[in-house]
Amino acid sequence: MTSLTLSHFLFTSAVLFVIGVIGFVTRRNMIVMFLCTELMFQGAAIAMVSVGRYHLDVSGQVFVIFILTIAAAEAALALALVVLLFRRRETLNAEAWSELGEP
Amino acid sequence: MAPNILYTGCVLGAIGIYLLLRPGPRSLKAVGVLLGLGAMGWVFKASAEAFTGPGDRPTFFFYVFSGIAIAAAVRMITHHRPVYSALYFVMVVLSSAALFLLLEAEFLAFALVIVYAGAILITYLFVLMLAHQAPEPGEEAAQPDYDVLPREPAAAATVGFIMLALLSDTVFLGASELRPGPVPSEVTPDNIDQVGMALIADFPVSLELAGVILLMAMYGAVVLARRQIELSEGSR
Repeated sequence: MTSLTLSHFLFTSAVLFVIGVIGFVTRRNMIVMFLCTELMFQGAAIAMVSVGRYHLDVSGQVFVIFILTIAAAEAALALALVVLLFRRRETLNAEAWSELGEP
Repeated sequence: MAPNILYTGCVLGAIGIYLLLRPGPRSLKAVGVLLGLGAMGWVFKASAEAFTGPGDRPTFFFYVFSGIAIAAAVRMITHHRPVYSALYFVMVVLSSAALFLLLEAEFLAFALVIVYAGAILITYLFVLMLAHQAPEPGEEAAQPDYDVLPREPAAAATVGFIMLALLSDTVFLGASELRPGPVPSEVTPDNIDQVGMALIADFPVSLELAGVILLMAMYGAVVLARRQIELSEGSR
């Protein structure tokens, strides 16, 4: 019987975070890009809760409550922006807005 | 545990993700799935063998739920239809709520399901449906190019898995020491009491700030999403 260690949870959270990063870089749909940031939030949340469990401290869980708050605020604002951008260009392609960057 | 296993697993995982991301024949995608599954399973098996000790809790559910979470996350970033991506993200949320239950964070597990899967993802689905281009009548709804073709999948997979190797390297070195402590005794308050006390007593300012952030987000969303209505002179 093997036992569960902190590193198992931290590895899972690192994998989720990295998949979120890869998705954020590769996908072109703006809504899916924001979904990938939520995936990164999930990875961070698992890391915080597991480290808090290791130290027998609930501060990690309180931080996850704040992560939920920020995720909700981000979803509301970012999706409002996406709706606005979609109305302008009639597409969800993030590269339709590439001229906003440096030439 | 030898870091080489971790590095090899990361290389295999990167190749698997790359094969899954780029458009190609189904057989290549199957190879990608096998590579990714094999890599993750190998790393987890090696880590399980490296940390044998007096077992104090079942690891079975951990492997089940973290496997579901990782597989659903990969499917989420590789699926061509955004609605299915959102639904796979719901699966990630549910299985990480189960991981929270294993970590004895019951309150957060339920808060995650209610707030994330119940509220935030519904917002995403609504916006996905709002921003959906209606297909021409009589023809099949085609997936737009930007949902099918990924942007720089090779570079992204390389960078991502180098990051994973670096992150988990520090985790795995000396990891045999990192065993979570036992739950102290029966007289401790349960999880929701502890979280509530910490939230109110230790982080009162953050709590107020969170309220202000939510209010400002609501205000900002209203300002951003409203439509300008041109009123004629007479109706003002």
